[in-house]
Amino acid sequence: MLPLETRDLAQRLLASEASAGNPSHSTESAALRVYEKLRRNLCALAGVAGFRALAARALTLAKAEVPGLSVMQIMADGSMQGLGEMDPPGDKHPDGNGEVILIAELLGLLMIFIGRSMTLRLVQDAWPEADLENCNSGDGTRA
Amino acid sequence: MSTQDKVTIHKLPTGVPGLDDIVGGGLPEFSFNIIAGAPGSGKTTLAHQFVFANASPERPALYFTVLGESAIKMLRYQQQYTFFDPSKLPDSVRFINLSQIVLEKDLGAVLAEIIKEVEKSNPAVVVVDSFRTMVRKSHNGPSELDLQSFIQQLALFLASWQATTFLIGEYAEDELRDNPIFTVADGLFWLRQTAERNSIVRKLQIVKLRGQASVPGLHTFRITDGGLQAFSRTFGLSGHKRKDRGTHRLSIGIPALDRMMGGGIPEGDSVLVTGASGTGKSVLATQFIAEGIRQGEPGIVAVFEERPQAYTDRASKLGMDLVTPQEDGKLLILYLRPLDLSVDETMNEILEAVKKIGAKRLVIDSLAGFEMALSPGFREDFRESLYRMIFALTGIGVTILSTVEVDESFTEFPFSTYSISFLTDDIIRLRYVSIGGQLRKILVIIKMRGGSHSQDVREYEITSDGLVIASERLKGYERLISGIPDRVRPSDEKE
Repeated sequence: MLPLETRDLAQRLLASEASAGNPSHSTESAALRVYEKLRRNLCALAGVAGFRALAARALTLAKAEVPGLSVMQIMADGSMQGLGEMDPPGDKHPDGNGEVILIAELLGLLMIFIGRSMTLRLVQDAWPEADLENCNSGDGTRA
Repeated sequence: MSTQDKVTIHKLPTGVPGLDDIVGGGLPEFSFNIIAGAPGSGKTTLAHQFVFANASPERPALYFTVLGESAIKMLRYQQQYTFFDPSKLPDSVRFINLSQIVLEKDLGAVLAEIIKEVEKSNPAVVVVDSFRTMVRKSHNGPSELDLQSFIQQLALFLASWQATTFLIGEYAEDELRDNPIFTVADGLFWLRQTAERNSIVRKLQIVKLRGQASVPGLHTFRITDGGLQAFSRTFGLSGHKRKDRGTHRLSIGIPALDRMMGGGIPEGDSVLVTGASGTGKSVLATQFIAEGIRQGEPGIVAVFEERPQAYTDRASKLGMDLVTPQEDGKLLILYLRPLDLSVDETMNEILEAVKKIGAKRLVIDSLAGFEMALSPGFREDFRESLYRMIFALTGIGVTILSTVEVDESFTEFPFSTYSISFLTDDIIRLRYVSIGGQLRKILVIIKMRGGSHSQDVREYEITSDGLVIASERLKGYERLISGIPDRVRPSDEKE
């Protein structure tokens, strides 16, 4: 089960992208844009192979929670085929939709490996405008 | 060319305690350096320490990772060190992965990518970790000439962009010859890690450093929670002028012994107190340190064979209060007993203590315990290390009294099992003698480099006031130092 903080963070990023309101992105889902931004930054840090390995693990974990995500596939460059295209009825997770879960799992893995503080720094670097200061840490504290 | 015409090469802090002294004050700015060594020798950690010590948002550090340790795992592990400051990421310290380019393209593309990132960030520090994997990959494709050209261009470019560079690689020592990278490099840091019986011994060597004098030789280092800590062979005192020896003498706290030594121990001397177990070496040493405190001369006691509390308790039974001076910052009792110490680490602890309280007197009790506390690999060099230690400490005016146990023999009169008497200025020998069905104790000054001393063989006792020495030499016997003297007729005795 994902910690509340990770879901909260994923939702904030999706909300940030959704509210960005760039007309050229109108056909892309916010989830796709969040994933792509993370891919770009994390590939620079960990390499394509490093990012792809993390994303594959995140997808596997997310699929266990939202079976509808099984239509998604990770490509060689780490991009996610099918992301932004799914939203069939019945695949809604009680705690949020599948795309939030996928992003949250990816962020959760980062937190496991490099810690919360560094993960938030990397995320803040990709979304300088996003308000991550008051992210719920899940234990009642704030980031 | 006058000094003022010469270019000033700024020195950057290495971020590694002790290493600045070894490299001659800091690492030359804009230098192109190699950190070489086997896996696990601490190369990446050393580079990280340098990065975190020098990176700023205005002049960040770029850390290029290539096929080697995964960047995510590297961050996971490196952040455990206390020097790792997460707040510096990503503004001041940026990690960039080059694996894909190395795998898919040639060295030209790698160089182009490095140039692109450097031009974008204007870094003060650039690290490529591991450069070796990049070069290995290139051996399958480009010629050696291409490789040489790549290294040359990389070095030129990074120096022109005013970046101080570290290339990290798992090189073997026999690769030093014929490898173009070592020719181009301004600095070459070699880290070694060897197993000595049950201990690990880590050493570093500055094989090459252009532009300034580094301390030659192999220096011990340790990897702790704070990262690497280096211990210079010269204990960071290489640039210090030796203190002139004055005429001041230090009282031992035993008036008769002071008189035998011509008024006490000359300040800055190294004294060896040698004798069998139970002859009172530690008692004498404690009196020396207690007298120093009485005279306003702070002291350090390095103990290896008993704990500080036991040492203090024993002194108390002899009427010497070592508790109050410890509370007042006039005395430090160092207990140095891990079994894989290097002399240099021990020295570092002692030097820090000397600086901390401005110590004038040091007791090492005992050299045998000191040797046992060392890693087996360092025991071979014990004599040489001891020489460096004594030379360094007496050079800053500290008077050292060391105790050493010798096996009692009735056929010879050894001063020490270490053949170290040449390292000491003065030697006091304590020994048992068998007289009239009793095992009694005698004391003799073997040598004093600083001048004349008593030739007497004196009897002494260990009392509740410490060592009490007879005011006159022990008469009526000859061959006293054999331990089994012969009685002589009063008429045959020389005055």
